[in-house]
Amino acid sequence: MSANISNRSFRPYTGEKARITRAYDYLILVLALFLFIGSFHLHFALTVGDWDFWVDWKDRQWWPLVTPLMGITFPAAVQAVMWEKFRLPLGATLCVAALLIGTWVTRIFAYHYWNFFPINMVLPATMLPGALVLDVILMLSNRLTVTAIFGGAAFALLFYPSNWPIFAMFHMPVEYGNGQLTVADLFGFEYIRTGMPEYLRIIERGTLRTYGQYAAPLAAFCSALLCVLMYTLWWFIGKWFATVRYLNKI
Amino acid sequence: MKQLLIKCAVSLGFMLSLYTLNIQTVMAHGEKALEPFIRMRTIQWYDVQWDKQKFNVNDEVSVSGKFHVAEDWPVSVPKPEASFLNISTPGPVLIRTERYLNGKPWMNSVALQPGGDYNFKIVLKGRLPGRYHIHPFFNLKDAGQVMGPGVWLDITGSPSDFSNQAKTINGELVDMETFGLGNGIFWHSFWGLLATAWLLWWLRRPLFIPRYRMLQAGLEDELITSNDRLIAKGILIGVPVLVLAINAMTISRYPNTIPLQASLDQILPLSAQVNAGVVDVETLKAEYRIPERSMTFTVKVNNRSENPLQIGEFATANVHFLNKDLRAAYQGDPNSLTAPEGLSLDNAAPIQPGEQRTMTITASDAFWETEKLDGLIRDADSRIGGLLFLYDSVTAERYISSITAAVIPKFN
Repeated sequence: MSANISNRSFRPYTGEKARITRAYDYLILVLALFLFIGSFHLHFALTVGDWDFWVDWKDRQWWPLVTPLMGITFPAAVQAVMWEKFRLPLGATLCVAALLIGTWVTRIFAYHYWNFFPINMVLPATMLPGALVLDVILMLSNRLTVTAIFGGAAFALLFYPSNWPIFAMFHMPVEYGNGQLTVADLFGFEYIRTGMPEYLRIIERGTLRTYGQYAAPLAAFCSALLCVLMYTLWWFIGKWFATVRYLNKI
Repeated sequence: MKQLLIKCAVSLGFMLSLYTLNIQTVMAHGEKALEPFIRMRTIQWYDVQWDKQKFNVNDEVSVSGKFHVAEDWPVSVPKPEASFLNISTPGPVLIRTERYLNGKPWMNSVALQPGGDYNFKIVLKGRLPGRYHIHPFFNLKDAGQVMGPGVWLDITGSPSDFSNQAKTINGELVDMETFGLGNGIFWHSFWGLLATAWLLWWLRRPLFIPRYRMLQAGLEDELITSNDRLIAKGILIGVPVLVLAINAMTISRYPNTIPLQASLDQILPLSAQVNAGVVDVETLKAEYRIPERSMTFTVKVNNRSENPLQIGEFATANVHFLNKDLRAAYQGDPNSLTAPEGLSLDNAAPIQPGEQRTMTITASDAFWETEKLDGLIRDADSRIGGLLFLYDSVTAERYISSITAAVIPKFN
């Protein structure tokens, strides 16, 4: 049957054909899950890296700027495929869920069992609330522009408040060495990382001081603006990859 | 052909077995890989001592020592404007509980001054039992790691004996090993369940091929039902409201949080310990004789102290060449890289007060080769640097001079 089917001649698959297409669904889903666990996790580790690895890197300025900006890439690309070809509004959630599976596996086995770090020192951040909102905005709007502007912005703006319940307690102050540290800083000082001197951390560096101490909202809005652009860019990357040129018959 | 393949496979298996049997524990941290001129002319460690090398989990151990920041800092290495005194460990098998620079507690990084003298102390606590090769070392921003002398530490006991508690300013006692873990798992599970529910809502129905066909047939409206839209609207409103509500609850629960702290600590050098002024040593020439593995310095020593002086030691890159007549004066760890008879002088007579003497000092040992310091002559920057230790023949007081010179190789 041709890929372009007329409305009147369309007949849904039944019987053996339906069973085979469902088996194909499961095959693709399993492959996609492992593909996204591996590829998105690698992409995230290489771009967000230490900001997501360590509790003492999660600052108010760079962490909420960098993480959603790099985190919206694969969701945008996969949404472009899943929505444009199948009208499945789950690309973002699927990607972020796959990323978290890969991240948790790594944190437990590589960081904790292999390298002896306590897991609470390497707790990952979550982007699932933003991914859910991104998926439903695409579904309800069916528009790239609307999704990029509102979904991209929501993905960035929801990041910090959805993670604060996980990480606020690590920002309680501790008196240590005649100064104050957060509990997170204390993790960095006590649990030795040979390749991670303190000065490598990028903590609130830069000149965005105009709004006083409101670093996190400022960083979140900056990230929202950039996410709109990043979403659009990666949507087209996803669309470019999602070719049907080899699909002559199904 | 088949027999040949079997023979090849058996041979390969045999070789691999031999290799596997010969696997040894890693005993170093790449310290010899760093270019010699960086090891010799950046952080010059001396008098490094561990208070013990065998202890139990939860016991404290400390390492203390001194270092001089070389005046002749290599031009190709960025100046130490942000430096972090670290401990090389295979993961946090120990935790660092205290660290002092010149007697001051020191939590972050610090700018070191070339020519400056510093002493340090690090207190560690055993966390995981095992035998580990440990070095104090400096992370130098944009330059890399400069290792101090290493030792083997034996930690005995059970991992379950380890405890690490911290007290917040509000008085809350937290267990650093588990703090926040349950809470983190809860919120990840919470959002994970919502996401799983959303995914299952779509995955329960026929997916790729049927939906693609329907889309191509113009049946797009049938792919998204009214229930789908209702749930999506619920998510669109519910998720942000939930996020903001939980965030507000967290803020009210932890009202006194502070941002991560990342200042550059300001700690000035000690009053001069090296090149302190009573004894001047000027290096006139340095030659490295490759076949003999010996470095010969021609130096001019000016003794402006009130007593005769003798040269007792030359130290560079954690290798100590000792004058055999003054071995007892050595204050470092005799088990570290020490050549007990490695230093010889052309004139061993004490340098008298007021005397200026030009003399030849030779540091000879296989350490030049085994520590890969002889690679200096193949570096773009082939200057050597190190510390010369002189002793007062009457009071045994120690004077330290830093010496530096371009090295001329002698191949035959």
